[in-house]
Amino acid sequence: MSSGPETGSYTALFDASPTTTKLVTLGNLSRVGARPPLGQYVRLLWARRHFLWADARAKVTSGTRQSLLGQAWLVLDPLINGAVYFVVFGLLMKGGRGIENFIGYLLIGVFLFQFTTASINGGARSVQTGKNLIRAFTFPRAALPISVVLRNLLNLGPTLVTLAALIYFIAPVEEYTWRLALVPAALALQVMFTTGLALLVARWAAALPDVANLIRMSMRIWLYASAVFFSFDTLLEDRPDIQRVLETNPMFIVLDIVRDCVLYATTPDPMRWVWLGGWAVGMLLIGFITFWQAEESYGR
Amino acid sequence: MAADLDYPMPPPQLSKGRPASMPVPVQRPLTGAIPMSVQAPPHTGQLAAVAPRSGSTPVLWPTVAVQGLRMFYRTPSTDTSSGRRAKLRRTVLNALGQEPKVTVRALTDISFVANSGEQIGIVGQNGSGKSTLLRIIAGLEKPTKGQVLAESTPVLIGVNAALVPDLPGEENVRLGCLAMGLSPAEAQAAIPDVIELAGLGKSIYLPMRTYSSGMAARLRFAIATAARPHILLIDEALATGDAAFKERSEVRMERLRKEAGTVFLVSHAAQTIEESCTRAIWLHHGRLVLDGEAQDVAVRYRKWAWAHAKDKPDDAKRILEEAFAERRETEVRFDTPEPAKGPVRERHARPRGRDAKQAKTRAARIAALQTEAGDL
Repeated sequence: MSSGPETGSYTALFDASPTTTKLVTLGNLSRVGARPPLGQYVRLLWARRHFLWADARAKVTSGTRQSLLGQAWLVLDPLINGAVYFVVFGLLMKGGRGIENFIGYLLIGVFLFQFTTASINGGARSVQTGKNLIRAFTFPRAALPISVVLRNLLNLGPTLVTLAALIYFIAPVEEYTWRLALVPAALALQVMFTTGLALLVARWAAALPDVANLIRMSMRIWLYASAVFFSFDTLLEDRPDIQRVLETNPMFIVLDIVRDCVLYATTPDPMRWVWLGGWAVGMLLIGFITFWQAEESYGR
Repeated sequence: MAADLDYPMPPPQLSKGRPASMPVPVQRPLTGAIPMSVQAPPHTGQLAAVAPRSGSTPVLWPTVAVQGLRMFYRTPSTDTSSGRRAKLRRTVLNALGQEPKVTVRALTDISFVANSGEQIGIVGQNGSGKSTLLRIIAGLEKPTKGQVLAESTPVLIGVNAALVPDLPGEENVRLGCLAMGLSPAEAQAAIPDVIELAGLGKSIYLPMRTYSSGMAARLRFAIATAARPHILLIDEALATGDAAFKERSEVRMERLRKEAGTVFLVSHAAQTIEESCTRAIWLHHGRLVLDGEAQDVAVRYRKWAWAHAKDKPDDAKRILEEAFAERRETEVRFDTPEPAKGPVRERHARPRGRDAKQAKTRAARIAALQTEAGDL
């Protein structure tokens, strides 16, 4: 029988009390399910990158596995989508009033915005749909919305290839310039922004599932506020004040930069990059920290 | 009796002066263990000073401390027998298509400390809070009140681990291993072992959605064992599968138990607990009835269950009350550890910097030697 101050756990009996007090030294113990500090949280998340990657890839392929054409749908889906827009806006409505190369303008808008829509809607539901995973394994919960964005990013690959082919064959551009090299940078900023927003709405929707419904509607409004089908220049000619406000919209900036680079051989305004960079970094930080703060509440 | 267990008593002079000035630093930021790691942390040695009475196990130190755990759920109920005043509220809720909510007390004030080398059985009737307790210990649910401290992340081997139904079993094994935090190389190494334990034959290449519930449960169980957790929580996992699988899984369980520091086992079969546990906890309607030696608790529980089943409420009540009376309530307090004096390098600590490099090359050399030996 040993004892002393170094004793790890011992029983102390009080006179006639039926209560036993066990004194436990905290040395190696930490609270189960506790939210780790931010730095450690990021490290833990990084340690799960293989899981994130495997999960996203598995879900992309499993989503099409039940269909006859399988993975061909990853290309067919945007292709048919593009064809519909081409028929409706290009052939039936004879193009957008005053927009040069309207088909290219429209395709870039629709395809790039689709990625953000799918990521935000999926991100909002990610805690709900990942409930089984949350109840089975311990991992940084931020992995769930990030996995959704990653999955949509993997889907974006074939979509971008289709987009490039459609622009090349249907909406030819007069000259392709060095500015095409700027497109990946804009897309990277879009992904950062989308990830941040997905994390943010994931927390809201986890606290109140009704939020997911509101977000679906908000995405529709946002679609119109991002000049996907029309141009602010022609629509809001006499309202420069509203136009100025709408032009700080990060999604509009992404689309504008990409259109400038691909279709119009124009170097995008540096201020656009500053705005977009600010949105991307700011939203990612805000979203990540907000999500991390409620780490212990998910999946209850 | 029960409360004494294997813990040595503090010397009288210590306990006399102590009670009033007992430190209660609960809300201090807790450090020490690597969060979300299922492996045992490098042991600091300063805790491992308790020698058990029996002398069978060399050292005992606390691995899991459960303090004042309380779990209440708010859940919809169709029970209309309660109060008149709720009538109006019910009407409003009805209009929204919702049902009135009631509070379910799943666990009430549970406290205990589990030590390394202990195998703790949890018994109780259906709905007594056994599974809830395990889920809270595993950190998968947040208690309404109280907290659970553990040396490493406990792993719950249950029957509800989620997998992707459209993927073949083989892919799900990989995904499950990665989800538990194994590296791709570790997962790759674990896959054959897991597949062998699951013993699904060619079905392992079929999508999970084609599996029967028994097959899926076997696969989940096999995946959960791949992590070699230090603190193991088993929720009636042994009850799944056919006889052949049962045998195999029991062998694996035995190995896991030997490797694990602490094991919690929920089972309806009191006999299983008697045979394989050193200590048992009896829960009844979310309350802790008895916490003591496995044999004693299991026998009492069996007697109670028998009386309950044979419709002898008086006998059942008597047994329960006796057990309650003998119970000694546990209060768990936390003591802040002494700050380490100087940069003492622990023998079991993870090597850093140059040491880490050396350890790595050493490990690579050993691995190379082993593969060579394997080739011959």
